[in-house]
Amino acid sequence: MLKFILRRIVIMIPQLFLLSILVFLLAKAMPGDALTGRLANNPKMDAQTLAEMKEKLGLNDPPYVQYVRWIKNLMQGDLGISYIHQQPVTDLLSERIGNTLLLSACILILSYIIAIPLGIVSGRWTNSLADKLIVGYSYLSFATPLFIFALLMLFVFGFILGWFPTGGSVNIQVEKGTVDYYISKINHLILPSLSGALLSTVGTIQYLRNEIIDTKIKDFVKTARAKGVPESRIYSRHILRNSFLPIAAFLGYEITGLIGGSIFLESIFSYPGIGQLFLQSIMQRDYSVITALVMISGLATLLGTLLSDIILSAVDPRIRIE
Amino acid sequence: MRRKWHWKFFSVLAGIILLLSACSNSSSTSSNKEPNQNKQTSQKEDISKFPIAVKNDGKLVDGVLTYGLVYDTPFEGTLSRAFYEGQPDAEVLQFFDEPLLRMNENYEITNDGAATYELSNDKKTITIKIKDNVNWHDGEPVKAEDLEYAYLVIGNKDYTGVRYGDALIQDIVGMEEYHSGKTNKISGIKVIDDKTLSITWKHANPSVLTGIWTSPLPKHYLKDIPIKQLAQSDKIRKNPIGFGPFKIKKIVPGESVEFVRNDDYWEGKPNLKGVIVKVVSPKVVLQSLKKGEIDIAEFPTDQYVNAKGTKNIQFIGAIDLAYNYIGFKLGHWDAKKQENVMDNPKFQNKKLRQAMAYAIDNQAVADKLYHGLRFPATTLIPPSFPGYYDKTAKGYSYNPEKAKKLLDEAGYKDKDGDGLREDPNGKKFTINFLSMSGGDIAEPLAKFYIQCWKDVGLDVQLVDGRLAEFNSFYDMVEKDDPKVDVFAAAWYTGTDVDPYGLYGRDVMFNYSRWVNDKNDELLEKGHSEQAFDTEYRKEIYNQWQELMNEEVPVIPTLYRSIIYAVNNRVKNYSADVYQFNWKWKDVGVTSETPEVE
Repeated sequence: MLKFILRRIVIMIPQLFLLSILVFLLAKAMPGDALTGRLANNPKMDAQTLAEMKEKLGLNDPPYVQYVRWIKNLMQGDLGISYIHQQPVTDLLSERIGNTLLLSACILILSYIIAIPLGIVSGRWTNSLADKLIVGYSYLSFATPLFIFALLMLFVFGFILGWFPTGGSVNIQVEKGTVDYYISKINHLILPSLSGALLSTVGTIQYLRNEIIDTKIKDFVKTARAKGVPESRIYSRHILRNSFLPIAAFLGYEITGLIGGSIFLESIFSYPGIGQLFLQSIMQRDYSVITALVMISGLATLLGTLLSDIILSAVDPRIRIE
Repeated sequence: MRRKWHWKFFSVLAGIILLLSACSNSSSTSSNKEPNQNKQTSQKEDISKFPIAVKNDGKLVDGVLTYGLVYDTPFEGTLSRAFYEGQPDAEVLQFFDEPLLRMNENYEITNDGAATYELSNDKKTITIKIKDNVNWHDGEPVKAEDLEYAYLVIGNKDYTGVRYGDALIQDIVGMEEYHSGKTNKISGIKVIDDKTLSITWKHANPSVLTGIWTSPLPKHYLKDIPIKQLAQSDKIRKNPIGFGPFKIKKIVPGESVEFVRNDDYWEGKPNLKGVIVKVVSPKVVLQSLKKGEIDIAEFPTDQYVNAKGTKNIQFIGAIDLAYNYIGFKLGHWDAKKQENVMDNPKFQNKKLRQAMAYAIDNQAVADKLYHGLRFPATTLIPPSFPGYYDKTAKGYSYNPEKAKKLLDEAGYKDKDGDGLREDPNGKKFTINFLSMSGGDIAEPLAKFYIQCWKDVGLDVQLVDGRLAEFNSFYDMVEKDDPKVDVFAAAWYTGTDVDPYGLYGRDVMFNYSRWVNDKNDELLEKGHSEQAFDTEYRKEIYNQWQELMNEEVPVIPTLYRSIIYAVNNRVKNYSADVYQFNWKWKDVGVTSETPEVE
């Protein structure tokens, strides 16, 4: 097991290296740079000063020089300085990652809370009315674009009914650390996380449903039935355990996917997180932020697959990794 | 039996879809309820009919106001006038910091602000005297050395912001030597006593009156931080201080700022107990206003038609300091010589340029696409400079017959009978038009212009067959990409009327690369010592506007409006961004809670 993990980590190094080249080249291939068109709002600028600024930012160096400089800093944990925000990328990320983690964790937990019971019901009572409604909902949620659904949720529950705040992550007027502060944080979380969760259930529901249907007709289930094991026990003991395997395997992915954040949700709810930052950075060619975010989520994906394998081998005794 | 189930399932599905669409209808365009909505969409607005200030006769109460930052771009939180770049930061700055000198309606400095000024007889030296009771938020007095420090930061070689590009800053005596690191003081800036400072320039330039830098930096607070690290320091990002009417209490990065009243404000106690500034997505700004979640916001003009008539808010507006234009690429920028070279033969014929200007119907664009909230431009100095805008300039109004005639005269005739004109040598003549994407109007706008030109027989195509995204657009324009013949862009003019920074011979932002001796002469006169005489300057700029309209290196197309939506409980607020007839100190509210629709 340990050997397996070590081997996987060693393989990650060339993978990350390749990713870094790709990310860097693609970022540089985008037309324009951090200074392009930025000055349409501030035409009090002369060519010389602009050239000086480009020089200071190192934008005039050939790409390979820029790449080497970047990768060197990266290895020392220095993600560079955001041009747009004029502060180190690490500071910028640390301001926002907490928000994103919180939001994504809520979405994940909520989506499991919604999807698992639905998946079980629809797998156990296949072709019933409930099953059809659930499957219908899961297809509908799969087909609904998040940016429209989130806006709709915002209008209905935020503006028309007024049950929840309509933007931001916390009410600035409450004192940090007080009970009110945490209530306000949770209150701001409910609407975006519910919007996200309601639309991200399809995978879990379908996996669970299919696994249950598959397992239902397996020989060991028939054996159990023949032995006279009560139906509820068959489901809770025999079928469900097996059916949760693919979902457990996905958990690794999901957990590392948490740090990516949601571009749409964060933009619509003005929720300052990583997804919103990523979108804005692309629009404004804030290279250091873009490359840092892509590298981080690349690393997270690699770790996620590893984690998935480990979880799977832990929960399923039939799978042994050597 | 099965079929029946299916039927039920689909009916449920259909029901859900209906429900969803019903919700979206009622929420996104709730002004539909009003009877005259059909008329509204076709009705033309007129920015000159907008009130400039809010109307409210109520009695002030001690309340907190919420101000919305309506942006898709980030609120970066670089809260210093010397360093900020984004507009959201600028809007936050107005509450806690201000320049020492205020402006009048011509954007000229006055003696009403936190300091007074006096200009020497040769107009090359200004003496600024800070009033006695002006104090930073930590109680320290604002001193002359604070303003000097601001110049020392901006001119420093380690400075990371964009302000050094300003010609007025570079023209200060000794600034160049300081910037290159030869000296550690700027010889042209003298601290005379605690509260008095003088600045001397190499040249006398009337732009001093409209463009001088008078925002001090708190030296006692910032001096220990290396200049390279200033922009990222907590003293600018988390606990910045100024001397404005409100103090920063708390900042949630990227999201909101809480201000409290500065009782020690030099002009007296402000009316508001506090201000909350928060980011609001442009998608939900109208709903937020209706619900009273924000009291004031710059309102997106493209949503105005739907928002009009909302009961709990007033709309106020003014003409923006900006204009849209269509430019011809006439040459390229020579980076070595730092000069524009006019060497592209394609559009050198003035008549061709004039014809293209006559061919486009800006009135139709303004009325149909912008509902009158943008309106046809006639010259390159927008009416937001009432002192210099040439009211008599006719510009180019839609006249396709004249366009055709000019094209005939210039030799652009349809020789092969395909309905499109060939160039004077009889070769196929295709014009490549670069236009920016973004917003719902971008596509129809570009198509409309192309159609207008086609109507007079010109074959115009979009560069690469599509609209260009913001960054690609400016990348191609700045680098004089040979694919581009004509481009549609816009300029914010700032408060300085001098067009030199956009049309001078040695100016990179002169994107059309047009150079002309008469232009050089007029621009030079326009910021000479003599031009301190307003009448003279006006006369010079009238000549310049006439020259530009005759030569049309760029076609001015539209002027813009700026609109603010303000809750009915707000008093003494006005749409003029440069605050010459109102002050944040006087803004107040007449009820504890905002009005709700």
